[in-house]
Amino acid sequence: MVSSKNSVGRIISQYSFVIVFIAIFAVYAVVSNGLTWNGVMNILRHSAVIGIIGIGMGMVCITGEIDLSVGSMLALISGFAVVIFNITGSIAVSLLFCLGFGALCGAINGVLVGYVKMPAFIVTLATMLIYRSFAQYFCQIIPKDLCGGGSSVYRMINSKDSYQSFYGFGNGKIATVPIVGVVLILVVVLFTYITTSTKFGKKVYAIGSNEKGAAMNGINVNLMKTCVFIITGALVGAAAFLWIAMNASSDPATTGKSNEMYAIASAVLGGISMSGGRGKCLGILFGAMSYTVIDKIIVALKMDSLINDAIKGIILLVVILIQLAGPRLKERFSK
Amino acid sequence: MLLEMKEIDKAFSGVPVLKKAQLEVEKGEVHALLGENGAGKSTLMNVLTGVHPLDHGTVVFDGKHMDHITIKGSEDAGIAFVHQELNLFNEMTVWENIFLNKEIVKALGHCDKRSMVAKCRELFERLDVSIDPEEMVENLKTSEKQLLEISKALFFEAKLLILDEPTTALNNDEIDHLFQIIENLKKNGTSFIFISHKMPEIFRISDRYTVLRNGEYIASGNIADTNPEEITALLVGNTDSFKDIYETRPVGETVLKLHDYSGPGFENINLEVKKGQIIGLTGLQGAGSSELMQCMFGVTRATGGTLEANGNTVPPASTHRAMKAGIAMLASNRKENSVIPDMSLLENMYLAEHTLSAGRFAIHKREEKNKFENYRRMLNIKAQDSGDSILSLSGGNQQKVFLARWLNTNADILLLDNPTQGIDVGAKAEIYKLILQMAGEGKTILINTLEIPELQKIADYCAIFYEGRIVKILQHAELDEQTVMYYSTNAANI
Repeated sequence: MVSSKNSVGRIISQYSFVIVFIAIFAVYAVVSNGLTWNGVMNILRHSAVIGIIGIGMGMVCITGEIDLSVGSMLALISGFAVVIFNITGSIAVSLLFCLGFGALCGAINGVLVGYVKMPAFIVTLATMLIYRSFAQYFCQIIPKDLCGGGSSVYRMINSKDSYQSFYGFGNGKIATVPIVGVVLILVVVLFTYITTSTKFGKKVYAIGSNEKGAAMNGINVNLMKTCVFIITGALVGAAAFLWIAMNASSDPATTGKSNEMYAIASAVLGGISMSGGRGKCLGILFGAMSYTVIDKIIVALKMDSLINDAIKGIILLVVILIQLAGPRLKERFSK
Repeated sequence: MLLEMKEIDKAFSGVPVLKKAQLEVEKGEVHALLGENGAGKSTLMNVLTGVHPLDHGTVVFDGKHMDHITIKGSEDAGIAFVHQELNLFNEMTVWENIFLNKEIVKALGHCDKRSMVAKCRELFERLDVSIDPEEMVENLKTSEKQLLEISKALFFEAKLLILDEPTTALNNDEIDHLFQIIENLKKNGTSFIFISHKMPEIFRISDRYTVLRNGEYIASGNIADTNPEEITALLVGNTDSFKDIYETRPVGETVLKLHDYSGPGFENINLEVKKGQIIGLTGLQGAGSSELMQCMFGVTRATGGTLEANGNTVPPASTHRAMKAGIAMLASNRKENSVIPDMSLLENMYLAEHTLSAGRFAIHKREEKNKFENYRRMLNIKAQDSGDSILSLSGGNQQKVFLARWLNTNADILLLDNPTQGIDVGAKAEIYKLILQMAGEGKTILINTLEIPELQKIADYCAIFYEGRIVKILQHAELDEQTVMYYSTNAANI
């Protein structure tokens, strides 16, 4: 007996992230005199890394936890993956290393949060410091030829046979769509499926919604939390793989810097509840793309890039303000 | 007349909760506010204390019209609400709790601890309460916390105290003490609104009563002019739900066996239950029956003895393994242990079964919907759509969804911990019928409840707990309020 007006309202409030994206995109269309297909596809390309990290962050947030270590993890995994590539020259081994090492980094967070029951904020704050420091330290002490000869940067050796195909993967296109963008879309589709249509996904939501209740349903909360952190680690690994494919290098000091904050912001902008139990994977994609478009707008307006974070922060505040205050205002004025 | 509430209307999102409700409280009386769960007592009190704004009606307190009641406004006027769940800060001392946000300060906002502690001590002496003002609240007994809440209200000279089921966590001596304090305050002109479900207490302490049913004013009068039977009839309205529906049914083999089973809160439990039986467990709060159920379901770890279900030993401390052994538990405290608030009815229903069938990864939505429809018909769940939020249902219908959740796991041993908590009379009767029906179909049921009439309706026999042990087993025919109370207070061993 829900009136059609109400259900339209519900859909709008559930998919408000699309509206936010369209609004920001409209601004971009105006300021970037003349949209090109390539320009639009570039948004997808530049959203790939942060989008995939955001999906992982979103899963963690849905269980009601947080992972601050993803940015540092990206630096560590991508740095080491460059070394692995320089040794083996194999793309497949590099990919497996990224996923496996990512899962391991995530498992450290997961076990400490899930089984030792330390607060996720503290655990991942600590691993954030540790992973970043490792990435920078090992870059200094391993033999120079393994980091591609750079002084403080991991650089892929471009004389390897597979270098061109690896770099081509990161920068190539399928039918004018960037390959990394396709990977992002595939990850979003996969995780939309997992979160909406599998038993595993529903358990993730249940834990975030009511942890005690979930345990009383026979859900192994400790194990599930650990699993979600491991999945997030593996996703960061996948993002690290894309990162080195796109850049052919990784600077441990700057790679993934503040990415945990952008990932959280993308997730929140995409409608994920930080207290757990609510949100959609699709929202994270739009949240991440919204932030990429903001970058583009700043470039198009020839503004100083240092103003970037201020604008991102303000947009986050405004959107959440509207989401929270909107229903309250509506209630007040409907009487 | 201290308080006059007239023609109070209040609706939540279009659903009327109070319909022309009224309440009058004299100065210096204890007024019992009576009604079943959902009758509108809490809403009426929340209107009075400014938690919810009222839609229509007038409130006159102490000769003054109260128009837009706010929480602060009602506090300032002298109304104090002593909640059932205590609003105390455990990590603070007693005096800090009393003076929170009303601290006595000296120059530069420096808290004058000495005079606050002294005033506390003075008050406690006057009330004959023996609590140390400098004690941490977490170290107090529940009864002391209750007294602290009341003292806190009195400290700021409340004229009207609302006591919401104040005796639930108290033993008999503590209840006597509380009632003594109420009597003394009454003589000094303080009024009380007393909300309770316990008839003996109502008749002992109250002067007058008001009955609400379905949000409407039903009756009021002097307690001295009435009797418990009359009040019960007023509370319930029609008396259909009082019909005896119990009948004996054939029982099968032993399916559940507890041998010297011990754990946190109970010890050396020996029990054998046959297929199709309904066993009641009862006792005072904390006597061990609820703790036993939680341990059987793997929520806590057993410390000794064995638990066998269907001939197999159930491994300890794993809810999942208990479920695999065919045990299901409808937990008490629905909001905390059962409701997954962000999920739909359908999701709430299938969640438990999915932990058993996690190997089949994908969810087949149509199949699950069909199952839900079956349970909806079978349990008479009043819901519009399986996609609705669980929070859109009333307590009784929520509980039926959770019953469906556990039936869906195909468990044959059902542990029901206080299954009718916070459910209205009609839904209660339905749940009793369902329990009997399930037992008839071969489910084995253990039901823990503190409500003795409930046991009389459904239990084949009843195990009475006292301080963690079973002190007596009563057969169905022996179950009556007095006998059960006699054993659960361990009066037999005085």
